[in-house]
Amino acid sequence: MRPLTPQRILGICALLCGVLFVVCVVSLRMGAYPISVRDIVSTLFNVATGRREEIPVEFWQVVFGLRLPRIALGILVGASLSTAGAGFQALLRNPLADPYVLGVSSGAALGAIISLIVAPHTVGAIQLAAFVGAASTITAVYFLGRRGGQLDSPTLLLAGIVAASFLSAIIMFLLTMVTGSELRSIAFWLMGDLTAPPPTTNVLGWLGFLFFVFIVAAGAMYTTSSDLNLILTGEQEAKHLGVNVNRVKFVVYIAASVLTGLAVSVSGAIGYVGLLVPHVMRMLFGTDYRMLIPTAAIGGAIAIVLADTLARTVMAPTELPVGAMTALAGAPVFIYLMRRRMR
Amino acid sequence: MWRPASLYSRGFFVGRKFTRALGQVFCMIYLLAFCGAMQAAAAAPHQTPGLKRAMKFVTDETGRRVAIPFSVQRIVTLAPDLTETVYALGLGDKLAADTTFCDTPPAAKLKPHIGAPQTPSLEAIVAMHPDLVLATTSINRPETADALLRLGISVYTSDPHTVRGMLDSIARMADLMGANEQGMALVTQLQARLDAVHARLAELPLVHVLFVVWEDPLITIGQNTFIADALRWAGAESVIVADQNWPQVSMEEIVRLQPEYILFTGNHSESNGDNELNRLRTRPGWKALKAIEMGHVIRVDDEITKPSPGLVGAIEQIARELHPDVFSSGARGESFELQDGMMTGVVASIWQKRERDFCAL
Repeated sequence: MRPLTPQRILGICALLCGVLFVVCVVSLRMGAYPISVRDIVSTLFNVATGRREEIPVEFWQVVFGLRLPRIALGILVGASLSTAGAGFQALLRNPLADPYVLGVSSGAALGAIISLIVAPHTVGAIQLAAFVGAASTITAVYFLGRRGGQLDSPTLLLAGIVAASFLSAIIMFLLTMVTGSELRSIAFWLMGDLTAPPPTTNVLGWLGFLFFVFIVAAGAMYTTSSDLNLILTGEQEAKHLGVNVNRVKFVVYIAASVLTGLAVSVSGAIGYVGLLVPHVMRMLFGTDYRMLIPTAAIGGAIAIVLADTLARTVMAPTELPVGAMTALAGAPVFIYLMRRRMR
Repeated sequence: MWRPASLYSRGFFVGRKFTRALGQVFCMIYLLAFCGAMQAAAAAPHQTPGLKRAMKFVTDETGRRVAIPFSVQRIVTLAPDLTETVYALGLGDKLAADTTFCDTPPAAKLKPHIGAPQTPSLEAIVAMHPDLVLATTSINRPETADALLRLGISVYTSDPHTVRGMLDSIARMADLMGANEQGMALVTQLQARLDAVHARLAELPLVHVLFVVWEDPLITIGQNTFIADALRWAGAESVIVADQNWPQVSMEEIVRLQPEYILFTGNHSESNGDNELNRLRTRPGWKALKAIEMGHVIRVDDEITKPSPGLVGAIEQIARELHPDVFSSGARGESFELQDGMMTGVVASIWQKRERDFCAL
């Protein structure tokens, strides 16, 4: 086992960033509206020389209005989900944990459905209501999951699962009450959907805000990564080594929940990424959380951008739900890596 | 305060100091990327050349305020019923693209497609550089219209809940597409056909029917759907009264309510009516229905599911099959009325299709 050095972490992250960049460029090129490399180069040239009028309107609309925001959102959602997944897997010490295991997505979905029933045509209401739903679930599960004033992993897991199934039952009940067009929005939302327009016209401001929240939450989780490694060997051992286990658990719980709530409220519940990507990164680069958190974030971004590109192109012009694509492409990759590791 | 790392970081080559530094580096990278993206956006043309055209502002049927060019030359439809309406107005040559579901009239299949109604490719729509995109709440998602409007593309969303609403919607859309006169003519003609049906059925009691949207689980229509309204025009009424659009109902309830007729959708050519009836006669629940026993099963033209001009043809078909005695007499026959009392469902369907194609001309 090679020692983990800063150089190695940075090197692998740089490598993954390179892969992400290539995937983004490929994603930018592919789609129902054809764009060649020459188009991109000539556009850059026209922008640089100030001759913007020569660029076709459709080109601007497709590249800057549709594809770039979608890629940026994909990066953000993928990074958030798989960072949150890595966090929950350590917090619950359970390899089956994913960002949705503690009922965050059910809470967000319930919020979204209530907003569709109460205010069906309000722009931004779904995102806001989904985030409120996620935050309330996080708070409720946090207080239910404590034992003797401390977060207890098995209790937390049980509380989360019970909350998730309870909320799902309410969702099923409410779904029979909504009529046609709302039901359609919700169905897509539950599958995960990157095509919904952002709630404001200032797309860059919106993305910037989301990135800011991501950086704060992921950064907070990263500060605990050394402690997480020790907690994974056992809570008592970590305590004896001087880790403030309760504080670490609290930070990871809040950070991972915020990341999940963020992703779920902008794109709906995209499955599998939060479960699979951290495991794949563990198989590839080891289980050390100082390595795992950044690689999982970049890997999640790659996974979603790739899945969304496939979703957009496989049946073009019809689009597939990105959530279906992540499961379809993710499961075989995961099985392959798992079998290879067993040999 | 965070605990000092010295106690336990000795065994690792990377301590907390490093993770903090790395976090800062990532923050810097994101900040730089964000600034770069900001600059790129500032370079984007704020005034697209297309916006210099003369626009009028209208409120669509979902309450969105939208700008639509005075002269509409390229239309993209996002639903089969809208495609049918565009053709019925004689604007088929202005239709730039439609959905993969559009099959009526047959010419619609040959147009470029922009995807399925619920999952269209937004960029494929943009690539068609349409003057006007037509959407409907009956099948499209509101997110699609919102995203297109955000890009500065004119989208008109229709929201028909009744047969009358559908006619009004056709008139409004015809007006937007610069086909006011064709719209008036089409609406008048459709209204005349509806009135002719209504004149024959006005004094008759409504027939209680079960409209089967899906057989297993049993899903039927709610009272606020345009299908329910179309049934009323055809002299029928759903036995189920529900506020939801597509309620799932229990077989027991249907057996208790004993509808006089069972209505299925689908074209006659696709399945054999007798086989269908025999199959239902063996199914538990269904065989307890008097309507099944008496063979009171009607297979309705698929047009009933679409709020489009073809819906009127489907209404005529249902009215004929539910009230054959009123329609076969020919006492108050209209010019397009078949005089033959032996007319079967198959003939009626073909005949209506032909009439519809005639309307499209």
